[in-house]
Amino acid sequence: MEAVAQKTSAYFDEFGSRQQAGGQWCADLQRQGIEAFERQGFPGPREEAWRKTNLKPVTDTHFRLAEGQGAAPQGLVARLNEVGDCYRLTFVDGRFVADLSDLAGLPNGLTVTPFSEYKAQAPDRLVAALGSRASVDSHPFVALNTAFFVDGAYVHVARSARIEKPVAITHIITADANGQAVYPRLVVEAEEDAEVRIIERFIGDNETTTLVCPVSELSAAAASILDYSRLQQDGSNTINIGTVNLASQRNTSLRGAFVADGAKLARLDLIADLEGEGGEIDCNGIYLTDERQFSDFHTWFNHRVPNCYSRQRFKGILQGRSETVFDGLVKVFEGAQKTDAVQENRNLVLGKRAFAHSNPRLEIFADDVKCTHGSTVGELDEEALFYLRTRGISVESATGMLTLAFAGEIVDMFRVPAVRDHVRDVLMHRLGVADINVGAIL
Amino acid sequence: MALLEIRNLHVSVEGTEVLKGVDLTLDAGKVHAIMGPNGGGKSTLAKVLVGDEAYEITEGEVLYNGEDILELPPEERARMGIFLGFQYPVEIPGVSNTYFLKAAVNAIRKHHGQDEMDAMDFLQLVKERAKRVKLDESLLQRPVNDGFSGGEKKRNEIFHMSVLEPKLCILDETDSGLDIDALRIVSDGVNAMRSEERGFLVITHYQRLLDYIVPDVVHVFVDGRIVKTGDKELAKQLEVEGYAAFEAAAA
Repeated sequence: MEAVAQKTSAYFDEFGSRQQAGGQWCADLQRQGIEAFERQGFPGPREEAWRKTNLKPVTDTHFRLAEGQGAAPQGLVARLNEVGDCYRLTFVDGRFVADLSDLAGLPNGLTVTPFSEYKAQAPDRLVAALGSRASVDSHPFVALNTAFFVDGAYVHVARSARIEKPVAITHIITADANGQAVYPRLVVEAEEDAEVRIIERFIGDNETTTLVCPVSELSAAAASILDYSRLQQDGSNTINIGTVNLASQRNTSLRGAFVADGAKLARLDLIADLEGEGGEIDCNGIYLTDERQFSDFHTWFNHRVPNCYSRQRFKGILQGRSETVFDGLVKVFEGAQKTDAVQENRNLVLGKRAFAHSNPRLEIFADDVKCTHGSTVGELDEEALFYLRTRGISVESATGMLTLAFAGEIVDMFRVPAVRDHVRDVLMHRLGVADINVGAIL
Repeated sequence: MALLEIRNLHVSVEGTEVLKGVDLTLDAGKVHAIMGPNGGGKSTLAKVLVGDEAYEITEGEVLYNGEDILELPPEERARMGIFLGFQYPVEIPGVSNTYFLKAAVNAIRKHHGQDEMDAMDFLQLVKERAKRVKLDESLLQRPVNDGFSGGEKKRNEIFHMSVLEPKLCILDETDSGLDIDALRIVSDGVNAMRSEERGFLVITHYQRLLDYIVPDVVHVFVDGRIVKTGDKELAKQLEVEGYAAFEAAAA
């Protein structure tokens, strides 16, 4: 029998055979990334956290790093305006595009920089922050991203700076990235008493099969306010497997607005760490799936200290033969007394062959806490539908109205008005009620 | 031609016959009351008239202005002018009362080939009609019936009716749960709408509503059919004697 040489992964080989993806300043980190990936490999179907996520479309192919940068078509470029007036950082196929960005008139205290601006050296605070939340050993896709990110966005808000205009970081995927991988990276740091609004958005070509594998690390220092909107609106053949880390300190208010509307296979692991007393992390999310889309939210909310508050409210609207997963953890660490945590997941199944999994988990190691969770999977209320119809409203409009009302509860909680308006538009298109005037409904 | 003509209507729910041959003719301009004991099928009749698909029609016809409506979906019937004030109005969280009514008004107008109503005109209409049934203006912006008291829900039904201006108004136990003040307000709202072109079918268990909404015709409805028809004096007789005699006869 022939001796089998130790087999390395295609990604490891790719890493070895090409120039380092990012700048010299992060070379060590990227090497750690590929080594960590090689140790872990892709998650197998028997791993509990990945049991319901069919990774075959990812593991069956080797998605090489997208080397080029396609020209973003006008249709996608026009969508940059959908979220209103923002400081804007735009990446196409993983690389920064100055022409599509607008960083004019950044106020004092706000730093918004693409990683690619740094060559041999980056600011110490970025070097320290990058990977500090999303550790390469925590998650194979974090490791992969860390090995291969070419560029990224760094947002820093200085102490007591109050930034009202949102910072929008948009990733556009073009047809040039078909069959390849893009690794977006985001680091946000709000210093003490600062305030900032971040929008991270993914859009792209509908025919293109790209593996988008983003990692976002957002950390909010004491008494700061950080609002983060994540709009996953990828093209309908894209795969988006990402992680988001949120960390709050003493008296921080951290809010998240999550929308998953695009991609054929999407998964987000959302890790929220409450690390300072009086901290609050409030996340609201909505996922819309149709046809054979698959969408998965895995959340991990860690109450590590006493007197913190967390909310998770996620709603799904399922059409066609789509499938969704919400798997949410609230973990209260020993000593984290007076924790106030609520988790809710509600699913509205409109497609006869659609399927929603909902799995709330509580792990509580303190005795004086208030933790509740609720989970429902249901259809439209027939009685309400009939009532609306007896007043002259068509089945389609009544269905749209009731579905919008279902979603409205979440959308209303999104704090950035332009995001709220945009998501309403998305919903109305998705539900085919864009032509009826439902402006005042939500 | 009668506004509503029900001929030999038989209806089943899950194999059990609930309406056992109902005949009724209602002319425009008239108010008919249907009185009877609970469980006799009065509400079933109301639901069937507006197109509830939970019921199976096994025999008979329902003509509205001479047209058979039994094959039409609920929204079509509503647009033609048929309205049901629900016994138990449904709560619809997240849909504002005003928005909902606007969608309804415009759906009805579209059916009649009219343009959508101007937003300002609509708001004015809504406010004026709300005043008529003394519906608190704050309830206009609230989600439909969500968190409304029992009386507010019933008033909201009459309010919807007065905005939509249907031709055939069916009121299912609108009086139940109303105190004397609310009963008077609701009745005033109904009476204000009485006209030569409009007919009312008022379903009630008790006679007291009929002190305020004086009917032209009273039907006694027992065990799935009309067992006696008379004028308003019949209602008073029922108040004194109860339904026992009719129930015994039906059994």
